[in-house]
Amino acid sequence: MKILGLIIAVLTGTLLIYTTSDFPSWGDPSSPASTHLSPHYIEKTLEETSVPNIVTAVLADYRGYDTMFETTVIFGAGVACFFLLRVPRRKEPVERLYRHTLTGMTLRIKDLDEVPENLDEFERIDTLWAPYDLIIKTVCRLLIPFIQLFALYVIAHGHHSPGGGFQGGVILGASFILLAVSYDLRTAKERLREKLGGILCAVGVLIYAGTGALCLLLGLNFLDYSALASILHVDPITARSHGILIVEIGVGLAVMATMIWIYDNISSEGKYEEGL
Amino acid sequence: MSSQYPALLVATPLLAALFISIAGWVYKKLCFPIAVVALSVATYASIGLLLRVLNEGVVHYRLGGWEPPWGIAYYVDHLNGLVLVVVCVVALLNLIGAKKSIDQDFPDKIGPFYTLYILMVTGLLGIVITGDAFNLYVLLEIAALTGYGLLAMGDKRAALSTLNYLYMGTIGACFYLLGVGYLYIVTGSLNMADIARILPPLYESKAVLAAFIICMVGVWLKMAFFPLHAWLPNAYTHAPSASSGLIAPLVTKVMIYVMIRLIFTVFTPEYAFNTLALSNAFVWLAAIAIVMGALFALAERNLKKMFSYIIISEVGYMVGGIWLGNRAGMTGAVLHILNDALMTLCLFLVASNIVYKIQGHSFDDLKGIFRKMPVTMGALVVGALSIIGVPPTCGFFSKWYLISGAVQAGQYGFVAALLFSSLVNVVLFFRVLEIAFFEPFGDHDGHGHTESIDEAPLSMLVPLLIVALGLVIVGVYTGDIVNLVIQFAIPREIL
Repeated sequence: MKILGLIIAVLTGTLLIYTTSDFPSWGDPSSPASTHLSPHYIEKTLEETSVPNIVTAVLADYRGYDTMFETTVIFGAGVACFFLLRVPRRKEPVERLYRHTLTGMTLRIKDLDEVPENLDEFERIDTLWAPYDLIIKTVCRLLIPFIQLFALYVIAHGHHSPGGGFQGGVILGASFILLAVSYDLRTAKERLREKLGGILCAVGVLIYAGTGALCLLLGLNFLDYSALASILHVDPITARSHGILIVEIGVGLAVMATMIWIYDNISSEGKYEEGL
Repeated sequence: MSSQYPALLVATPLLAALFISIAGWVYKKLCFPIAVVALSVATYASIGLLLRVLNEGVVHYRLGGWEPPWGIAYYVDHLNGLVLVVVCVVALLNLIGAKKSIDQDFPDKIGPFYTLYILMVTGLLGIVITGDAFNLYVLLEIAALTGYGLLAMGDKRAALSTLNYLYMGTIGACFYLLGVGYLYIVTGSLNMADIARILPPLYESKAVLAAFIICMVGVWLKMAFFPLHAWLPNAYTHAPSASSGLIAPLVTKVMIYVMIRLIFTVFTPEYAFNTLALSNAFVWLAAIAIVMGALFALAERNLKKMFSYIIISEVGYMVGGIWLGNRAGMTGAVLHILNDALMTLCLFLVASNIVYKIQGHSFDDLKGIFRKMPVTMGALVVGALSIIGVPPTCGFFSKWYLISGAVQAGQYGFVAALLFSSLVNVVLFFRVLEIAFFEPFGDHDGHGHTESIDEAPLSMLVPLLIVALGLVIVGVYTGDIVNLVIQFAIPREIL
């Protein structure tokens, strides 16, 4: 069976390589891919959308409908993860570790019925992995604000430089995950509750799809941002550029919240008690 | 407003899925009503769109106002107009029929379930309506991803069988994407009509041939065309009833639509049937698929698994019908998309009702069930007659077109396969009905509550009865459907 698989894989590979002989040569300026659609984008983008970054214009405006659904794919992945992994809280005896903050002594408490939440002299620690990590915690605490600031910059500057909602959203999400890794999951969850995160996921995509629907209500086609001109009090071309910014913000929110959501569900096996 | 039907059709379910997701956190009782309203609006829009296509011909819609091929455009003709209505109606009926079983299966996770359900419908509608080859892939991802989520929440073995499906489905989607990439390299375009316009001088190119084969294999994997079917039976059998009732009737049918769209609009029938001399081989492959599906079904002792193998057999009907390359065969195949979606929905709604009451779907669980659930089993009889192909149910008519197409094309192997599978279907369903009718009720090994088992609740019966009635009505009006819609769905040059 293994040999059969190998033969099929080799045959398919050979076929694919063989057929590439009809491809235009690498980087050929007269290849169909560079002569058919690209010239229009390169020459007309600034004039039609007032966005200097052609990639962003193609991504979020010319083919903005694709991008809306790419964001929806991410949202769908988050929902599917939650749907499959999240386990509802069960009433069962828990085992917890607490560390006395002054002496560093750890206590293991089994079969706890009433769980104390906030104790003055004790901090709750994870059962599997809870060393002192002062350096990591301090460095992360210092770094996270700058990471988030940079993420906001990446989202907002998608028009002019490489970047945009997806990249910025991932950086924002990563900052929260860094908090969860360097402290623990509970600290991160105190900053962004599960419910708020779940709602933000949907709200992010809703900003994108809602902008599209708003254009439709204003009398133009779905996602035709130039319809926003009457609301934003700018000319239709500039409205396209603003429209792109709005949807990029939506993408950023959705991607950030979904990243965190998926991380939480996988790392805590859906229990949200402790993880990684 | 009617000029915006194409956008409404996809945007309404998408927005609804997002609102359902929020409602799932805030006020769970709203989830189901939002879903029903969204699918009703989509159904209304799809019917309006089909009527517009019937009156005016092909409908184009430019997303973002950009002219294709620079932007993405919808392209709705008679073919996808019909499939859009089928998708909406099937999804709506199954949603209403499945409410009770959703409440029973996932009391804590109603929000995410309805979100995934409606997102999946959005994905399927998007696949069918789009006129852009890459956009089709994006929507394919949505339909697939949400589908994995929906299927994996079934019984103990669901997760593993869905993982299997995930691997195979991902490979299929990748193949399709690779094919589109090849096409883009040689044509420089992603718009289907634009590709078809550029292709004719490139018919001899090896790259186009590779693109065609890769796309076909990818789509076949996704539609579970024998011998690429292995993921389907387990994934559908172990899934929760509400999910299998949506996915089993629609996913394979939508993928067959994609295959037809690739042949008709992207590669053009001229290339598929004349330049390539592959139709004969593909029809034989379809004949083998039909026979193997029927034989596998015969070996099963489990209701849902048997239905799954029947789907594999039916996929062979449609693939073969298209590759016959003549008008009768294609009419049969397109008509069968409609009929098979309804028949499969009927079967899986029956299975859903049985699972809801008995918590099992092996043949042993069916003993004597006719007396306990007469309406459900009555609907199964109608569904069975249609699958077997007894007039006036709709299954007869599509099979008739397929057989006459095969005779015209001189493909007697395909005719034999069709007749063989009809005979096997007779055996399959009479075996089930015999167990349900004549075996004494009782001994439901450990499932308990045997005395209290009675007919399924009204909200599950009404959609089932509508479908069963629909099988007969579609059968009676087959002539009109073919003359008004399907006739125009098939390119004029095919005789």
